[in-house]
Amino acid sequence: MKKLFFLTVLLGFSWATQAQVEAEEEDDIDYGAVELVDGGRSKTFANSRISGTSPQRFVNVGWDVQAPYDMTFSPIGSFAEDSAFAVGQQATGRAQYTGGFRFNANIPVISRNNLVWQMGATYWDTRYNISNIAGDSLATGKQVLNALNENGIRTGGINTTIYKPFDEYQFILVQASADMSGDYGLGLQREVRTSVAVLWGKRPNDRKQWAVGLSRTYRVGAMNYIPIFLYNWTASNRKWGVEALLPARGAVRYNINRKSMLLAGFELEGQSYRLNALSETLYAANNGSLEIRRGELRPRLEYMRQLTGYFWLGVQAGYRLNFSYHADQLPSGKEFFRGFTGDQKFAMLNSIGNAPYAQITINFVSP
Amino acid sequence: MKKSLILLLALTFALFIQTDSLQSQDAEADLMVGVWEPSHGRARVKIDKIADKYYGKIVWLKEPNDPEKGTPKVDKNNPDESMREVALKGYRILKDFTYSGKREWAEGTIYDPENGNTYSCVVKATDDNTLDIRGYIGVKTFGRTDVWKRLAIKK
Repeated sequence: MKKLFFLTVLLGFSWATQAQVEAEEEDDIDYGAVELVDGGRSKTFANSRISGTSPQRFVNVGWDVQAPYDMTFSPIGSFAEDSAFAVGQQATGRAQYTGGFRFNANIPVISRNNLVWQMGATYWDTRYNISNIAGDSLATGKQVLNALNENGIRTGGINTTIYKPFDEYQFILVQASADMSGDYGLGLQREVRTSVAVLWGKRPNDRKQWAVGLSRTYRVGAMNYIPIFLYNWTASNRKWGVEALLPARGAVRYNINRKSMLLAGFELEGQSYRLNALSETLYAANNGSLEIRRGELRPRLEYMRQLTGYFWLGVQAGYRLNFSYHADQLPSGKEFFRGFTGDQKFAMLNSIGNAPYAQITINFVSP
Repeated sequence: MKKSLILLLALTFALFIQTDSLQSQDAEADLMVGVWEPSHGRARVKIDKIADKYYGKIVWLKEPNDPEKGTPKVDKNNPDESMREVALKGYRILKDFTYSGKREWAEGTIYDPENGNTYSCVVKATDDNTLDIRGYIGVKTFGRTDVWKRLAIKK
């Protein structure tokens, strides 16, 4: 029995020793002189991101607020862009408060080195507190001011992004979104507006990426087709960089340290907002849609810093410059293309003052 | 003495049967062991088994030296300042993986020297020579999968 015990212990010891030796063994293999077991070379694909950029936001919630400004709205009718209005035809008001909650999510469905597919959702709420609303019976634009004051406007939608690299350098990027924008409440909006961007580009190295493409966008208020240019670059010292998807947004980035950065740039924001009740009252005959073509340019400074782990804080301050707040009538809600040169008449010619703005966001970011 | 001999033979036989079964299970678990190339092709990682866990270290770099300094690359992005002079070659970037069956290894972490972040990680062998390495944060949805290919010494 003693012998048996000795044998078992010996076997066990020998086994354990062998494992230990294997684990600690150092080798002299030249790992530069190895090859793929199944032959050929490993297929390398251009990464969707470059080094040093601001973190990609999976989920972000925020609050956007603007300083007070004046609003002047034309009557509701049919006007060429250079129309003039008699005194008393225009409605006026002062937006004491413009702001609201913003939510964005971009969740990876597939995230592999040869394909990235994300699905996302957006909900931006903008509430107004408009004081001194003025205008007599000729100033029918007062109805729009009242509707904005009571209901505010919001955008809710879904979007998708597909990034497909072909090889180590080339890729295509497709982004599409379907949004409902207007003064709707709990129900769904009748009109759904779609935006699409398609880009082809190259990523020559880990610090540079560029692409060119075309977009169907509402960022300038009305629907438009615009060429787009993506350019992301990081300096070799990783302190400076550029993040741009022109003309939608662009920024120069300064990495203060690993956990904070500063971005100076701009963003073009916009959508076409259907005013539900007014559309149904005014355009019952042609089932039309009265839509505010809101487009604005926001030069801004943004500070981002890591709070903890993958949660980052973003604080933004800038100036909101009005690009368009005109309105269109869309018979049966059907979209049309005016571009920058079209002479289709507007349903309203509105102007709003420019104003400083601020935004704060909490972001859950990508690894 | 005769009884002891029979008992010893029976035990030895049982041990062999068990060992055979364990070896087959181990063979599948040890699929992860070897030298692998990530999809970017700029590094090679050797995965070893130590005790019951799997670890992977960088054994080769396409550009072993820092282009600015001309010295071997170090882990300069490590959040722990005391680690920033440690050489990248030999650095253990995969840690603590245990075999969870069905050609999958879990409960490990992967370190990305590019940004100094450590992620939860799960590894799946899609065939004998291909690993899907998924680094993620919190839940697997928030992550990215890279495909690693097995390497062998040239003959």
